[in-house]
Amino acid sequence: MPQQTLGIRVASVTDIPPGEGIAIDKSITGTADNIALLRDEDDRIYALDDTCSHEDASLADGWVEGGYVECPLHASKFCLKTGEVQGLPATRDVCPHRIEVRDGAVYLFPNEAP
Amino acid sequence: MTRSLDRPAAPSRLRRPPELAPNLDVSGLVDAHGGLLDRAIFTDTALYRQELRRVFAPSWLFLAHIDQFQKPGDFFTTYMGEDPVIVTMDRNRQVRAYLNSCRHRGARVCRADFGTTKNFTCTYHGWAYDLDGGLTSVPNRDGYPESFESRDWGLLEVPHIETYGGLVFGTWNPDPLPLRDELGDMAWYLDAMLDRDPEGTVVVGGVHKWVLEGNWKLAAEQFATDWYHVNMSHASALMVLSPADKRPREEIVHRTGRQYVSPQGHGAGFPVHPKNRFNAQSVHEWYDYAALRERLGDARVEGPLTDGHATVFPNFSYLPVIGSLRVWHPKGPDRMEVWAWTIVDKSMPPEIREAQRLYNLRTFGPSGVFEQDDGENWSEVQAISHGFITNGLPLNYQMGLGSEREDGRHPGLTSELYSDAAGRAFYARWKELMNTPAWHEKER
Repeated sequence: MPQQTLGIRVASVTDIPPGEGIAIDKSITGTADNIALLRDEDDRIYALDDTCSHEDASLADGWVEGGYVECPLHASKFCLKTGEVQGLPATRDVCPHRIEVRDGAVYLFPNEAP
Repeated sequence: MTRSLDRPAAPSRLRRPPELAPNLDVSGLVDAHGGLLDRAIFTDTALYRQELRRVFAPSWLFLAHIDQFQKPGDFFTTYMGEDPVIVTMDRNRQVRAYLNSCRHRGARVCRADFGTTKNFTCTYHGWAYDLDGGLTSVPNRDGYPESFESRDWGLLEVPHIETYGGLVFGTWNPDPLPLRDELGDMAWYLDAMLDRDPEGTVVVGGVHKWVLEGNWKLAAEQFATDWYHVNMSHASALMVLSPADKRPREEIVHRTGRQYVSPQGHGAGFPVHPKNRFNAQSVHEWYDYAALRERLGDARVEGPLTDGHATVFPNFSYLPVIGSLRVWHPKGPDRMEVWAWTIVDKSMPPEIREAQRLYNLRTFGPSGVFEQDDGENWSEVQAISHGFITNGLPLNYQMGLGSEREDGRHPGLTSELYSDAAGRAFYARWKELMNTPAWHEKER
């Protein structure tokens, strides 16, 4: 995939409720998996591959708290910044993606490290 | 070996021997016309199991107040008889209920009292279900045979949910009478609490829960029929609530009123007086009694609007004057859990709601001065009921025998305020259900 210098505008910040997430379809992002945009309690936004590395669950449906997203199905935890798995039953990381917030819009840089 | 035997056992191939669920003829235990009860109905384990099958499983049971479900995923866990259920709002904003037991090894899939969720995941092995009860995640799915279909293993759904005046009821009966028909004339009495405000009612705070020694019927029966105990059991509470410098008042002790007697086993008793009022002073002042008379009619304002008690068969009761709803959850023949909600009119301003909440708490909260008296009575009756000689002596329900009539003012048949009439009808209904094979006995 060519380097995106401006990123892909994928959402407005206000589309994402604090402490929750939304999923951006891979047909928009051009990635292998859908991308979860996750907004923490301090209104910082992170992007991770949406599918939990344990079972078929959308991390965008998960709970965002304390620097982690918790999978809604089996409560596996992933670091919002790095995608590193922090709690069983998952044992594999999920891929993080770089985002930028400009003028209230979220720009995604697919497959770029944050 | 036939091919079908290679397949894992499907539920339909199991056959439970009928000896596991023997049914007793209870005709000789309840004499509703003579007003006599055999105490075995409060203590016998076989009868208790039969109750779960024939009284609870076919009946409409109170689940929750509609106000507890504001958005998809809001849930509340409760019991139908001893069966744990999740009541939740699905993505189409329909309130639905499911048996709270994983289809895999049977643990509850929701362990919280209430909250908001996106799915229900069993904490044992991780089977997960969506808000429609469908099985959506099975860890190590590949380990199951090809014949395994997730759609066969969804949560068991309560087949019928209906609401009346904001109260959510459910039944396992696949072919029930509509809730409104089952309530019959009881609806008129319920409306005296639920329909004061065109906006309806809302729940204040959470649900109080406490455990009592005592058969569930002792409480359900009392709320259907018993004003008789008030002056004796609640004497100290009534004195506490009276002005300090006043003598006991004749008009409190000798109140007259009516008692609704329902063929479906419901019951409601209430003093009748033109000046009946709400107990909490600010609540009393907030209500416009003239408007209530216009909305609900004189008979309800002077009767079941305020002081009084009622039971919707089998185990839902309420106190209209303080908006107390309660379910008497059966926990074996000797124990019940009381779950109590407080409801107020939606139009009430915060300070009036708070006054009503406090009055409720003070009188009929878990440590309320009246609630304590009632719990003591039921536990007292139960504690000694297993004595052999004790258990064999029948109990007396003869007050007001033959007094039931149409009084021209209140719908259905009514008796005197001081009467066992609704209690006799409650047990007549209980006997009828106990002696009637339920839907699950007719299948197959």
